[in-house]
Amino acid sequence: MDIETETRGGARVIRPQGRVDSNSARELEDALLPCFDTPEPVLVDFTGLSYISSAGLRVLLLAARRSKATGVPLGLSGMSEPVAEVFTISGFAKLFRIWPDAEAALAELSAG
Amino acid sequence: MTALSLTLVNDLAEVGRLAEAVEAFCEANDLPMAAAHALALSLDELLTNTISYGYEDGAAGRIEVTITIAEGAARAVVRDDARPFDPTGAEPPDVDAALDDRAMGGLGIHLVQSMMDEVAYARRDGVNEMTLVKRLHG
Repeated sequence: MDIETETRGGARVIRPQGRVDSNSARELEDALLPCFDTPEPVLVDFTGLSYISSAGLRVLLLAARRSKATGVPLGLSGMSEPVAEVFTISGFAKLFRIWPDAEAALAELSAG
Repeated sequence: MTALSLTLVNDLAEVGRLAEAVEAFCEANDLPMAAAHALALSLDELLTNTISYGYEDGAAGRIEVTITIAEGAARAVVRDDARPFDPTGAEPPDVDAALDDRAMGGLGIHLVQSMMDEVAYARRDGVNEMTLVKRLHG
């Protein structure tokens, strides 16, 4: 897995590429959690993701808790159909603000 | 090639090797995206659990994975020599719990059981055997 990060439209955008599994979940954690130390909104864009396992979902849960504690907005975007199904099955869809694509997410996240 | 067979050791790095082999196998056999995703993710979850919790520290383990496609279904069988463990008996997680009350335990096997059409466990000749079936049509 590679992780692309950029600042766009006043938001931090994190793009995990490939698989987020038990090996790479730690890399996502290291890239994502420090984002909540600054006030910019955080977007995790899954456009380049092949799958996310429960190890990756755990990292997103930590991020959601950090977001709630700090008030730094967190959004998710770009899920393929199978990835969206995983969010439905796990009940995680209810814990996050989710947009079809990064453009739509950034427009709303950056607007506050 | 309508069958894939891999022998793995109990090292988490093997999870990625398996996923790559499964993805290539599914692509070579034109499996629908949903089925390919379900197989790759389910095998990841099972293997991660077995390698993380199934063996004593430092013990060498052997895990065999086979996938066959026949009669409109993909069937994956995972055999490992880890300590006896039936993941199908796990308590399902509360997927409606609020953010602060979420527990991660059991989520992996819950994903497997939700994505697959059949999930079965057997203990045979000192080996854990998990069988996963994903129908490819309908």
